[in-house]
Amino acid sequence: MTFDTTLAWRQRLGGSNLPFVDSRIYTDPKIFDEELAKIWRRSWLLVAHESELADVLDFRTTSVAGEPLILVRGDDGKVRAFLNVCPHRGALLIREPSGNLKTENPSGAPKRITCMFHAWQFDARGRCLSIPRRNAGYQDRLRCGDVTLHEVHCEVGFGGFVWVHLEPDAPQLGEQLSPAFAALLPHLEAEPLEVFHHHKAIVRTNYKLWHDTNSEFYHDYMHHFNRVTSMQQPGYYDRRYEAFPGAHVSVSSMAVKYDAYEHADVALAASRDLSFPLLERNGWKLLDLFPGITINLRGSALRVDTATPIAADRVLIEFRGIGLKNDTAEEREQRVKDHNTIWGPFGRNLPEDLLGVTNQGLGMRRGAEGLHVLHGRYEESTIHDETGLRHYYTEWSRRLGRHANAPYDRYEAESSPLEPIERGASGAHHVTSNSAASGAGVHSA
Amino acid sequence: MSAGISRAEIRAALEDVLQRGVLSLDRGRYDEWLSLTAPELRYRITAYSPELRKDMTWLDHDRRGMAALIELLPKHHTSGADWLRQVVLGTVEVESEGAVHTVSSLAVFHTTFDVGDSHIDGGSSALFVVGHYDDRFRLEGGHWLLAERTVRLHTRQLGIGAHRFV
Repeated sequence: MTFDTTLAWRQRLGGSNLPFVDSRIYTDPKIFDEELAKIWRRSWLLVAHESELADVLDFRTTSVAGEPLILVRGDDGKVRAFLNVCPHRGALLIREPSGNLKTENPSGAPKRITCMFHAWQFDARGRCLSIPRRNAGYQDRLRCGDVTLHEVHCEVGFGGFVWVHLEPDAPQLGEQLSPAFAALLPHLEAEPLEVFHHHKAIVRTNYKLWHDTNSEFYHDYMHHFNRVTSMQQPGYYDRRYEAFPGAHVSVSSMAVKYDAYEHADVALAASRDLSFPLLERNGWKLLDLFPGITINLRGSALRVDTATPIAADRVLIEFRGIGLKNDTAEEREQRVKDHNTIWGPFGRNLPEDLLGVTNQGLGMRRGAEGLHVLHGRYEESTIHDETGLRHYYTEWSRRLGRHANAPYDRYEAESSPLEPIERGASGAHHVTSNSAASGAGVHSA
Repeated sequence: MSAGISRAEIRAALEDVLQRGVLSLDRGRYDEWLSLTAPELRYRITAYSPELRKDMTWLDHDRRGMAALIELLPKHHTSGADWLRQVVLGTVEVESEGAVHTVSSLAVFHTTFDVGDSHIDGGSSALFVVGHYDDRFRLEGGHWLLAERTVRLHTRQLGIGAHRFV
């Protein structure tokens, strides 16, 4: 060989001018466990929409950072979240994904959460109502008043979404989310929303790779649909990323030219006049929320992705399709078609996105030759700029106390990675955020 | 019962068209499959969401929409897996002269070719989905044509999903 490919591989593309992350942040189980503790347990996470809990005593079950959760709307109308675990002997309380507590179960006692194991009963506010043969067994050493379900922070907001935070010292929900939601919120709060689609996929990849994909549009090249409906349209490369504190980023709107897709009249919905409140016709806005939530408003349909990390190389992704609660039957049918055409499990784009990140998960599998994963596109924060990725990993590094590009070196918050990196003369760096962390590249030292 | 045709004959004819249909799809002979469908074809894929406690529609096309979807398949990155559809005809209900409603059970298997690491995973088969075909056939010129299909999926986790249809 005249060229040492091993050496070249182990050096960074672009030398010191291009930011990168170390591929081991996607594969190391120890780092994964740290992420659950330092990021996922300590972030406000979107877990449902209020329309999934429309009636009093409706419940949903989910999990966050390995903790099983119950979401339940109380008789006072408030949505609360509890660990889905009986305080008695640790059994899962509710096994169904959703339901209503008014429905009787084999343990009896409608309107109560009843543990099937020993029939301890709780109300929708987490209060213990019954411990069978309590006095005989516990005498006065344990009373119902001493026992509650473990409640965690739960808020409804930003378009009626249900958010939870596992730690007692959670900040206010709006503290970090409000600035990021500014551009999208008018469309989400003009009318009540309703979920019409839910499906999930377990993908052989790291959760961050999925969020990375949602945070850059350079992968448009993978999508035939985007190549013909978006990339060739005027204004496409003018769309800009805006970075916000907390590692959230949004993307400004453009009008998608759906009729450029072949057979659009039959392959897509019959009419494309339907939009979302206050959104331009065929408009498209996107918001990525740290650490794994994407809200994508495109034409008539809203899509919300939520990632649930399972292991360093496994992630559960839930996909919700959302319309307006007061849709007519015709409007709803069109929203469903529009959603499915692009984002359904048999849609044009979603299988390609999932295939792409699966390939990344396989290419960077644990034990494989490490890689410097480039996050180095600078295009004035426009659509193929990778500022979203750099913004994310700056916060990731701060939260974990590890540099994303040198995760096993000593972390020095003072020097990097919060400083903008050195780049060549053409590397102008547009960042609209107002914090030192905003858009800063992963350190290049 | 259709004129001059016994129930057993109808069932046998429907078995034949059902099996020829899935074999055409398995082999990627889409023109052959389309020739087994009526001009008024409506094709839907649905699933019930216990999370939402609602029925969901995941695909809904008329015949032109299905033809467009098929034509565009080569332009999309998709799984190169071999698909095997196992269909068992269940009930056959004659709705009117020359019109029947059938319900069949469905299982679709993937044999992996290029999704995942082909060196390690390639050649393995796995169940992709199970569900039912809820079909309406119409008799025309002595041939039963698929006029309406609702695929009622029990499976709700489809991995990366598919550009093709089940």
